[in-house]
This record gives sequence, C-alpha cells and structure tokens, in this order.
Amino acid sequence: MVLVCTSIYAQKPAENKATKKDTTVYKTSYGLRLGVDISKPIKAMFDDTFKGFEIVGDYRLTRTFYLAAEIGYEEETTQEDFTNSISKGNYIRIGGNFNMYKNWLDMTNEIFFGFRYGLSIFDQTLNSYELNVGNTYFPSTTITNSQTVSGLNAHWTELILGIKVETLPNLYLSASMSYKIMISLKEPDNFKTLFAPGFNRIFLNNAGFGFNYTISYTIPFNKK
Amino acid sequence: MKKIGFLLVFVLLMASCEKDDICIEPITPNLILRFYDNASQTDIKAVERLSVWADGKDTLSAYISITTDSIVIPLNTEASQTIYNFKMNNVDGNLANNQTDQLTISYDVEAVYVSRSCGFKAIFNNVTITSGSGWMQSFTPSTITTINNESSAHVQIFH
Repeated sequence: MVLVCTSIYAQKPAENKATKKDTTVYKTSYGLRLGVDISKPIKAMFDDTFKGFEIVGDYRLTRTFYLAAEIGYEEETTQEDFTNSISKGNYIRIGGNFNMYKNWLDMTNEIFFGFRYGLSIFDQTLNSYELNVGNTYFPSTTITNSQTVSGLNAHWTELILGIKVETLPNLYLSASMSYKIMISLKEPDNFKTLFAPGFNRIFLNNAGFGFNYTISYTIPFNKK
Repeated sequence: MKKIGFLLVFVLLMASCEKDDICIEPITPNLILRFYDNASQTDIKAVERLSVWADGKDTLSAYISITTDSIVIPLNTEASQTIYNFKMNNVDGNLANNQTDQLTISYDVEAVYVSRSCGFKAIFNNVTITSGSGWMQSFTPSTITTINNESSAHVQIFH
C-alpha cells in the first residue's frame, strides 16, 4: 500500500514535464509529389523488345494517406514458341497509398501499402505465327501476315507494397511491387492479349505483376 | 504489414510456375484411319505388313511393314491436299505379293488459336477423300465437315 502511494506521488512531476515536451509538434510538408519511373528507360536500353515511360504523382491528404496516380506508355514485343506479337498503348492507374511507417521527428519516409484501379487502351499486332502441327513429317513454316487489332482495353485492380526514402530535401527515391488482378479484358478474335501496357504479362489466371523504381520531387504547398 | 509481405512473396512464388508455360492442350489433329473386315463390316481387321508414306516423302517411321488395325497420320498444313500410299502384304514377305492403294485427302486449312504456349493449331474443313483402285475395297465417310480432334477414327476402311 505504501509502495503504491509513493509511486503515484513520484510520477506526478514527471507527467507535467512530459506534457510540456509534447507541445513541440514537428511539422511535415504537404504538397504535390511528381516523378518518373527510372526503371523503364533503363530496361528499354538493355531489352530491345521493350519501350516505356511512366510519370508518377501523389498528393498528401492526411498524415498517412496520399492520393496517387501513374500515367504511361508501353510497347512490348512478346516472343512465344509459335507466335510473335507486339502490344502498345497508354495506361493510367489511380488510387492511394497508406504510409505505415512511424517517422522520427519531421522525417517523411514511407513504408506504404497502396491500391489502384488501372485502365489501359492499346493495340496488339500479331506479327507472325507458326501452326503447331506436332510432327516433323510435314513441318510448318512461319507465316508472316501482320494483323493489328486496335482499341483493345483492360481494366484491373492492384495491391502495392513499397518504400519511399527522402534522400535530399523533398527528393524521394521509391521502390514498390504490385500484384494485379484483371477485371475485364477485350481480346482480339482468334488470338489472345498476351501483354497489356501498365499491367505487363497477363498470366493464365488473369493475374499480373509489376515493379516500379521512381525518383520524385515534392512541391510543398504548406506544412502541418 | 508482415502478413501482406508474406502474401506477396507467396503470390510471386506461385507465379513462377504458371501452367501456361507448357503446352498441354490438343494441337493440330492427325487423320485417324481404322481398318475393318469387308465381309463383316462391324469387325476390326488388322492390315498385315503395312507401310505408309506420302507422295514424294519417306515412309512414316511408325509405319514400316507393321501389322495394325488403325493408323494416325499427319496432314500437310502447307498444302490443300495430302496423298498417302499404303502398301500391304497379307500373304508373305515376298515382293510379288505386295498390294498397294492410295488415298487423296483434300481440305481447307484453318488456323485456330489455342493458348500462349501452344500457339495456333490447324483444323481441316470441307474434307473430301478419294481412293485409288487397290486393296481397299471401300471406305466411309468420303466427306467430313471438319477434322478438329483426335477423339475417334475419322475414316473406316474396309478390306
């Protein structure tokens, strides 16, 4: 009993001190962050079946939530055993990111979890194909008869996990990966959409994966 | 946070062994012939010492002087007809007793998309079959709307 009382009394002055200290609020900047995906131009340099460009942006709404979007263009040649095709077109992804990382002081690094709705409008050209005859007695030859189907579209959702690090004031480097699930896909007749810009390769179960490496700059509007 | 990470890793592992990397669907069908007894047309009758080759080609390696009641032969997808020669001998191995016949199979080739790994297969439409005058006494049918599978024999040959 005596021990409990003494401990209560002993804490009183300490509490006062703590509340005083908490009045110092570290302000962080709110604003529009714009950037580019640096992995796509680099990938295009080493992989001549790919061309792509993506602009990324987000806008901070609350302490932990950012509205986010990406727009881009991609062109990918898909070489399979019996077909060679190319998909090219534009895409947009809109959604948000939740920052789950508790920053020290006024830092604004992020470990974030995000979600997006994606839309892509693209063309796909079947450059050449070979009939899969399954024998060598009458071997088939490659048929080069380029057929383009325009106005294809894809709608999907994605979940994202990533990190953002402020390397210089207001300059951020970010890496993230995404898991995509196709909602609807307009397919060409007697062929299949093998790649959708912004979605990447379309797997058999209509899933897709993406990786982003971006560099972006925050235009600060105000500090809260 | 940790759970989401594990989920993403799991999903990535699943993706690395996607089944659309291997072609498992049926591709271009072969022509299947089955041999029956001309005297009793519901009974299967094997052909003895049968060799099969297409015009201007080597004998099919699976059919060099064998005894069988059915054969599975490819059709040429680069042409609108395939001519097959059939040599048999139901007496002995002597050349003098060899008997021959010929089937001319005419068709339209149509390319049908299957999947990413299988690509396109060919199916054969408006198929008509004519025979030479040899050891095959008759056959049925002589016209087939489409050959698009290998689930059963396409032509019955009576001898």
